[in-house]
Amino acid sequence: MQQRREFIIKGRVQGVGMRPFIYQLATGLQLGGWVRNLNGSVQLQLEGDQQAIHRFVQLLKNAPPLTAHPVFVDEQLLEPTHETGFRIRSSRTTTEADIHVPPDYFLCPDCLRELNAPGDRRYAYPFINCASCGPRYTLIRQLPYDRPNTGMADFPLCPACHSEYTDPMQRRFHAEPVACPECGPQLSFENLNQSQQGSQALQTTLELLQLGELVLIKGIGGYHLCCDATNSEAVEHLRQRKQRPHKPLALMFPSVGDDELDAVRAELHVEATEAAVLRSPARPIVLLRKRPDSRLPGLLAPGMQELGVMLPYSPLHYLLLARLERPIVATSANLPGEPVLTDAGEVNRRLADVTPNRLHHNRPIVRPADDPLVRLIQQRIRPLRLGRGTAPLELELPQPLPRPLLACGGHMKNSVALAWEQRIVISPHVGDLDSPRSRETYARTIADLQQLYAVQATSLVCDHHRGYFGSQWAAAQPLPTCPVWHHHAHAAVLAGEYPQESRWLVFTWDGVGLGEDSTLWGGEALLGRPGDWQRVGSWQPFRLPGAERAAREPWRTALGVCWQSDTRWPGAPAGVDLLYGAWQKGLNSPLTSAVGRLFDAAAALLGLCQRASFEGQAPMWLEQLAWQGEHPGIELPLVAEGPVWRSDWMPLLAMLLDESLSTADRAHAFHASLARALLAQASELKQQHGDFAIGLSGGVFQNRLLCELIMQQSQKFGLRIYLPQQVPVNDAGLCYGQIIEARARLQSQ
Amino acid sequence: MTKLTDTHISLAHGNGGRLMRELIEGLIADSLGDRLLDIENDAARIDLDQRDAELLITTDGFTVKPLEFPGGDIGSLAVHGTVNDLAVSGATPHYLSLNLFIEEGLEVSLLQRLLCSLAKAAGEAGVKIACGDTKVVPRGEGSGVYFATTGVGLRPKSLQLGFSHIQPDDRILVSGPIGDHGIAVMLAREQFGLRGDVRSDAASVLAFTRTASEFSGLRYMRDPTRGGLATVLHELHRATGLGVRVYEPQLPIRDQVKTVCEMLGYDPHYLACEGRVVAIIAADQADSLLQRWQQLPNGGRAALIGQLNRHDTGVVLETELGGERVLEELEDDPLPRIC
Ligand SMILES: [Fe+3]
Ligand SMILES: [Mg+2]
Ligand SMILES: [Zn+2]
Ligand SMILES: [Zn+2]
Repeated sequence: MQQRREFIIKGRVQGVGMRPFIYQLATGLQLGGWVRNLNGSVQLQLEGDQQAIHRFVQLLKNAPPLTAHPVFVDEQLLEPTHETGFRIRSSRTTTEADIHVPPDYFLCPDCLRELNAPGDRRYAYPFINCASCGPRYTLIRQLPYDRPNTGMADFPLCPACHSEYTDPMQRRFHAEPVACPECGPQLSFENLNQSQQGSQALQTTLELLQLGELVLIKGIGGYHLCCDATNSEAVEHLRQRKQRPHKPLALMFPSVGDDELDAVRAELHVEATEAAVLRSPARPIVLLRKRPDSRLPGLLAPGMQELGVMLPYSPLHYLLLARLERPIVATSANLPGEPVLTDAGEVNRRLADVTPNRLHHNRPIVRPADDPLVRLIQQRIRPLRLGRGTAPLELELPQPLPRPLLACGGHMKNSVALAWEQRIVISPHVGDLDSPRSRETYARTIADLQQLYAVQATSLVCDHHRGYFGSQWAAAQPLPTCPVWHHHAHAAVLAGEYPQESRWLVFTWDGVGLGEDSTLWGGEALLGRPGDWQRVGSWQPFRLPGAERAAREPWRTALGVCWQSDTRWPGAPAGVDLLYGAWQKGLNSPLTSAVGRLFDAAAALLGLCQRASFEGQAPMWLEQLAWQGEHPGIELPLVAEGPVWRSDWMPLLAMLLDESLSTADRAHAFHASLARALLAQASELKQQHGDFAIGLSGGVFQNRLLCELIMQQSQKFGLRIYLPQQVPVNDAGLCYGQIIEARARLQSQ
Repeated sequence: MTKLTDTHISLAHGNGGRLMRELIEGLIADSLGDRLLDIENDAARIDLDQRDAELLITTDGFTVKPLEFPGGDIGSLAVHGTVNDLAVSGATPHYLSLNLFIEEGLEVSLLQRLLCSLAKAAGEAGVKIACGDTKVVPRGEGSGVYFATTGVGLRPKSLQLGFSHIQPDDRILVSGPIGDHGIAVMLAREQFGLRGDVRSDAASVLAFTRTASEFSGLRYMRDPTRGGLATVLHELHRATGLGVRVYEPQLPIRDQVKTVCEMLGYDPHYLACEGRVVAIIAADQADSLLQRWQQLPNGGRAALIGQLNRHDTGVVLETELGGERVLEELEDDPLPRIC
């Protein structure tokens, strides 16, 4: 039977090769009609055999283009017009904004084949791409997504590319970054004594890497600092140059074998879910466990059993690694905490002391995007950092918003979020907001998101901490601001991700954040729902001698808890009388209940880490050590103080200093005890308050061992426990929680 | 001459009677000696030749705990604070007024030491005490003694200083190590029981401001007291709209001050100084002013610490490793932000 149907398809349908895909599909099924872009969505009319139309829809839903996420939102039956051919109509812009900005994609298998096919005109061309792969977010200046609005504006298409670009039967129909060696971007290499172009530039880079030299390499979302990861001298040199003694370095492995992972498997354990995410179009850095027989230098990540690993994602990376045949260090080229560098001039100026060797290219990076980072925690892949390929992260909100909001996020590991109607968009990782460059990037990211999505926020949401740059930025804007408590935002993340649960007990464990009572929270259990949280669980407070310095120097918190509990710590640093005096008087020694700081104290007491050279070092090292240990942990006292149940950390100290146990066992016992304390609070609170879902939120729950111990032990209590899955569990997810929390409060006003 | 025979101040020393006369004549006038102009009249006549000069006046109140600390006390501070406010304005101070608010129960011998110290500081700065007043407040309503001084001085009309003269690319100089006063007072107040070897920098900065005033390229001077250097830099940024860039490795900070700051987690940029000047000067004269300052007594560690520019959007600290950090405006009670 003949019929004509119209479909409106939303979701991620632009910049993903949707129209040529639809064209080819419709033509193949001998359907008539047309397709066009309608701002952010696709409007499609099909005419022909009813069965064929049905088949079309099935195929599009089940096997869309690699990076597309089509969502059919509307369908209606029309009068047949007897249209036989299928055509692509020109885009129509309307005033209603439903824009979806695609993130940056990896190199698709089709392009990879061409890259490696000696006869192809794009053979070994490092900027090959098509309508379903290549850079997007980092290339788009503004929407609509057309070539003149991208970083490719200055590369006029050659006739051959032009015909591919305009032919709906070709994979490169309207592939905006399309390029070839004739008309597209080129590589260039420079150092003190040479400068080269094109394949020679790549060759020199290769040779230098083989010699153990450092090279700065321009990629998709910024520059990487690279060296041969199998060469410990090179790695040591890189660490010295980057002034980064311990922070784990990310690795990029060559793609080898049927599933690209043979080289990775030679050094690391890869579970099925990890393999899938390694190969996903986002190509994130995945934390993987080293094999016992791995020959990689320990210096890549001192103190760690795990390494951050990714596969090549751009054609340049494929070419480089295929020829190098060994993994490279690919760490973002920046100063600590700052956003990744994207501009050749800035790289030359700011990283002059790091290495003179630079592999540039002339395709502009319009905006930075660091590599995203994920970890398998509690059987699921969870994001720890959003970036190239995963951001902007577009999610649906559980309820619509009355007006557009912008969430300023936290101060460290910042991301920001723009939300309107029932949508929220989270930016890539911006960084720590202490440096002028981070702050510039921050303001630019905010302006950018609003411009890209054509949505202007009319209210701002920020943290209550007035020292956060986001709060200061918000105060300087001519818009109403809704401050949200740090841990309320952490808690709201779960309520946002799992709207089927209506009553929560969320454990918000992190470094520190400003609490409602002006002390530093970080070990709280919050009961309720967005807009209505009540603190019902916490830890016995302790002081941080030297305040912010304690976050970088775990020995301070260790001393603080020893002083408070009259514990003798044989390994205590000497010459601390002055600090003791200050601690006694509470001078620059604020009170906190932060579990993240207890991890610091434990790492110091075990002699693992007295001074952290990067954020999170002490807890990370403690977790890694604990994996090698075994101990069921100890019971910690739980005391009611008004409505708040407080766990007491004091008995942990004697256990941590108990030399009859190995350090690994003690580290494990610390984790297990914390898990038990959490569950003791939960079951006590359940008796008191009735049913709720349990959430784990805050940076502490990046700890896989802790999460798994909690889950294991929870089974006997019959509790429903959730961890965030789409949004980072650490402060990068705060912006999302801020929106959920603010919406609830706007509602109740 | 009348002598004050009591060992402690009582409320009666403020009631206008005999005891008060004893206090003023027997202690205050005696201690201030030749720095004191006149105690006979209700108002004092002061001599100022202002043909080529402008008359400047400033006032300040002084509260400090403890009253005496290594390197100074509230008496010398009451002179230096007001003298330095005039000095950084480009003026030569000539007269001070002096108000005392004494708490009932203060030891007379302590008061005497403070007044002698005040007289000595006034002598060194070349100022006379023109007038004054004394009040005694009930026990518990003061913290020993408060001083208030008002100073008048003359500034040559030819000397043009102010934010409006500042140009991008001007240099920032500081006359000596920062934070000594803040740390010395804090250590003394908290009685950590340490023999702290940090002494307050409290002193008159007249030698520095006079030298600087000889330079045609001098734009502006300021003493980094409460809120420290960071606060002066923020004022500069706010008033001029220019970026302020400071090179951390150039900042003069004594090792002992650094050690205490590191141990306690304080940031020396926010610590008060009571004897330092920050000067803004044209780039081409910065080095010669620096040399002149370095030759002055106490000027050995004067330093060129930064410059103004058009591109920074705030106060930026360039760190040793080439990193950059925004130097925040002082918060009342800065809380950690690392999460
Ligand atoms: Fe947090
Ligand atoms: Mg004043
Ligand atoms: Zn492709
Ligand atoms: Zn071409």
